[in-house]
Amino acid sequence: MTYRLKSGNFARFSTFSALLIGLSLAACGAPKSESVDTAAASTGTLRVALLTPGPVSDQAWNGGAFAGLQRIKDSLAARVSHIQTKTPAEFDENFRLYGEQGYSIVFGHGFEYQDAAKRVAPDFPKTMYVTTSGNTTGPNIAGLEFAFEDGAYLAGIVAGAATRSGTIGVIGGQEMPPVKRSFYAFEAGAKSVNPTIRVITSYIGNWDDASAGKEQALAQIGRGVDVIFQNADAAGLGVFQAARESKGVRIIGANSDQNSIAPEVVLGSVVIDLPHAFLLVAKEVQAGTFAPRVISLGMKTDVVRLVINPALRTTIPASALTAVDSVTKQLVAGTFSAPVPPITAVAK
Amino acid sequence: MTSRTVLRALLEPLLAGMLALLVLAVLLGASGYPVGEALTALWQGAFGSWSVIASGTLVRATPLLFAGLAVAVAFRAGILNIGAEGQLLIGAAAATAMAVNLPPGLGAAGLLLALGAGVLCGGAWAAIAAVLRLRFGVLEVISTIMLNVIALNITGLLVRGPLQEPTRTFPQSALIDQALRLPRVIPGTRLHAGVVLAVVTALVIGWFLRATAPGFRLRMTGANPHAAASTGRIDVARVTLLAFISSGAIAGLGGAVEVTGVTYALYENLSPGYGYTAIAVALLARLNPARAIGSAVIFGALEAGASAMQREAQVPAGMVGVVEACVILVLVASEWIGARAAAGGRLIRGGTPRSGPTSAPAT
Repeated sequence: MTYRLKSGNFARFSTFSALLIGLSLAACGAPKSESVDTAAASTGTLRVALLTPGPVSDQAWNGGAFAGLQRIKDSLAARVSHIQTKTPAEFDENFRLYGEQGYSIVFGHGFEYQDAAKRVAPDFPKTMYVTTSGNTTGPNIAGLEFAFEDGAYLAGIVAGAATRSGTIGVIGGQEMPPVKRSFYAFEAGAKSVNPTIRVITSYIGNWDDASAGKEQALAQIGRGVDVIFQNADAAGLGVFQAARESKGVRIIGANSDQNSIAPEVVLGSVVIDLPHAFLLVAKEVQAGTFAPRVISLGMKTDVVRLVINPALRTTIPASALTAVDSVTKQLVAGTFSAPVPPITAVAK
Repeated sequence: MTSRTVLRALLEPLLAGMLALLVLAVLLGASGYPVGEALTALWQGAFGSWSVIASGTLVRATPLLFAGLAVAVAFRAGILNIGAEGQLLIGAAAATAMAVNLPPGLGAAGLLLALGAGVLCGGAWAAIAAVLRLRFGVLEVISTIMLNVIALNITGLLVRGPLQEPTRTFPQSALIDQALRLPRVIPGTRLHAGVVLAVVTALVIGWFLRATAPGFRLRMTGANPHAAASTGRIDVARVTLLAFISSGAIAGLGGAVEVTGVTYALYENLSPGYGYTAIAVALLARLNPARAIGSAVIFGALEAGASAMQREAQVPAGMVGVVEACVILVLVASEWIGARAAAGGRLIRGGTPRSGPTSAPAT
């Protein structure tokens, strides 16, 4: 027995050492690639990295950012890299790794990347850390802000006019400031055309569970909701499913043009033109003229807009479309902006 | 030791590693990704430089080691604790609550208080499942899984309620004060003192199980609770209770270390499932605490390398998850088969989790 235990110990010890050796043999000679990377950086190739909190297949927030990265790659002949982070621990890790590899720009696609950017940026002064929906700035930290709520307000006008039941819904991934702000504006927009309208709010609790998104949508539909504004990324894809399977339910998409996901049920999408915004930053960084700041983009720069689905345009009351046009003009002119919840105003 | 045993000891792990690589290559190739590039990235991301070893592999291995130890201790005592995930989260939440509410100026004492809070609350969380099992015969496999879900939602509630950061905007806690953070072991990397703590914990637990009387009682209870009880010297219920609570406390410490060493704040998605991967960590180490160190490093390397596959070879996250899971399966399965072969067809020594006195027989 004792004999067996001893040999067992030896076997286990060998397991780990041999595994490590095996792996190192399999990948031997690999460390050379780092010097290649440095060479590329010194010859002036722009290197851009993107961290997203969710899958880029969501056709929404993350998909838009990935399209932005591709736009930079194509327009500026940049070398690009993307990673989907799962935990906050990975924010620092990847910011740091990209910094070490000499990337020029690292986009953290969400306000949640701000703390990590603040911690890592001072160690890598040659890398520009840009957080979307972030308002942190520093010598090499910048933010990209979008007046998404302006588009959400317009969507509210459409929803308020299009509903027949007088009950509309909003479905979010998680209760986060930008999402809450967009729902607040949406409700205000809906009430501007229909003051007695009822708005039901649900949060799925995550951004990637499409079946949970579908459940939430079906629950809302069961309560009489016939127009849903979804802002739940990959989980929101389930909302489109639910609408397809229910009669007379319409959806308004968010973040990217989602009209093609389900053209028979989508009234329109509140679009953030992320590729445009990303390219703007990358061009300035490449030219060496970028001044770290919070860049606010919205209706005026045509980065945020409401895109009506042409297939269902005729089902929207003409008065609503007229109202959308006139409010859009005011938003562009700056004479009007969508109301924001009081708590967010304090936080800023 | 016969030459055959030596040969087997050398060949088995090599075969397992190569089999894992083969499965990986086939999966990647079949899905149309550049195999060579992806495997190079995997290696580079895990062991390519001192910086990634310290900041990537070892930082990721630390919570896996704590949670793996928690699982190993419980399994050795015959407790199927699937709840390391929840215990880790509760530990993280408790440590954060302590750290952000302490008066300033406590320094190292404050850090110890925060870690202590994690240990206590992680243990307390496990105690719920322990009492449910001992009093009411509730299977701990079920109760701990349920408690994981509850812990996750409590964390979500805390970061939107009592522990939310001062501006009350973002779903996360306030940042833990600089003085209450674990110091960095290597300046310029993310490697924090928690890794040392984890290794020391592993060695201490290994010694405890191997060389102390309570450790022997724990192993005896796990190996055969009826035999243990019939000696008249072992209070099986008491040993089970204490082992279960200790298991939770270790996982809780892991959570506390993660917030004070890595994230510096409580987040809802703090853990990508450390408590579940920990089961694989513990099984690969055949429930031996000292071996768990190596096992945790392997899994830490796998995760660090997998993220490099995303960055460098454009393998999407979903595919990376599939690849990771397959490698885990191959590694654990070949370990298990190898172990059975080495033991002459018998199940592995002391490692098979046996059912406790109140749970249904496993076979």
